[in-house]
Amino acid sequence: MLRSFLGACVAVAIAAPATAKPIAYADGTTVMAEYGAGTMQELQIFYAPRFDYSVGGGHVDFTSDEDGRTAHITYARLNWLAHRWNLDTAQANVFVWGGAGSASGNSFGGSALTGNAGTQADYETRRVYASFKTDLQRSSEFSDRVDTLQLGLAPYKHDYGGLATWFVFQARHYTDNLHSGIETAALLRLFKGGAWLEAGVTNGGKLQAMAMFNF
Amino acid sequence: MKRLQICLTVALFAMTAASSAATIEMTVNGLVCAFCAQGIEKKLKKLPATAEVVVNLEHRLVAVSLKDGQDISDSDLRKALADSGYTVKAIARTETPIADVRERLKETMP
Repeated sequence: MLRSFLGACVAVAIAAPATAKPIAYADGTTVMAEYGAGTMQELQIFYAPRFDYSVGGGHVDFTSDEDGRTAHITYARLNWLAHRWNLDTAQANVFVWGGAGSASGNSFGGSALTGNAGTQADYETRRVYASFKTDLQRSSEFSDRVDTLQLGLAPYKHDYGGLATWFVFQARHYTDNLHSGIETAALLRLFKGGAWLEAGVTNGGKLQAMAMFNF
Repeated sequence: MKRLQICLTVALFAMTAASSAATIEMTVNGLVCAFCAQGIEKKLKKLPATAEVVVNLEHRLVAVSLKDGQDISDSDLRKALADSGYTVKAIARTETPIADVRERLKETMP
């Protein structure tokens, strides 16, 4: 029972979305790859027919840093921009998403159907960025939640066609035993055109990195 | 008679040219990142009358140059920006070539 529960927690964490927005722009395709401090490797692809929703899926491999349990999830997901505030020099968004997938792992036999629901609220100017995201995962074997806070500061205002640089602080909390305590990370984020690269180190001294491409 | 036809043709061409702007400049709210600009540029370039698009975050400006003799209505522009997820605050039509708009933006960069 405990093994199943821990495995479920691992599976839940894998499905946590990347830190970027799940919808780039209308008629845009987003490809994201994340290396999450040795506990998560994820590849996602979403296509947005409109600016306010995207569809797609992904695959994640996860290894618990508590007991070495692994899980592998392939999933489909719908992302929806519930509301956007276009201010003079800022933008704020509320996203919600839901999806389903299939999980396997070394702590439970066969595969388990997974479902997830989450939300993200963010606020961004050309110099500051704040985002809070919570992601709930449920299946017949588990129910868990992952919360992620990001705060970003740009040393200069970038413009279209130029290189954007951000210093980002991230704090992530996993419920149950997936990770002990709150994992924090200091990240350097660079993007230009449709390419986004982000890398840094966690408080545990591990690499946290992400690449994203919009086209 | 032939001379009159030529004069009328030239006059009609001149009137058509005068009635259409070379460049449309829009002030847009929510324009804070390169991905925003990328999405807007992609959307506007799909309009058949669009020749070129310039997006500037500092001035919250989206400028569209038009193909000869063509135009895009304000309502179509507002719809294109709304469909991209942004809000148009103002629209101005000018005879300024878009190359000059680009130069003006460079000169006023902080």
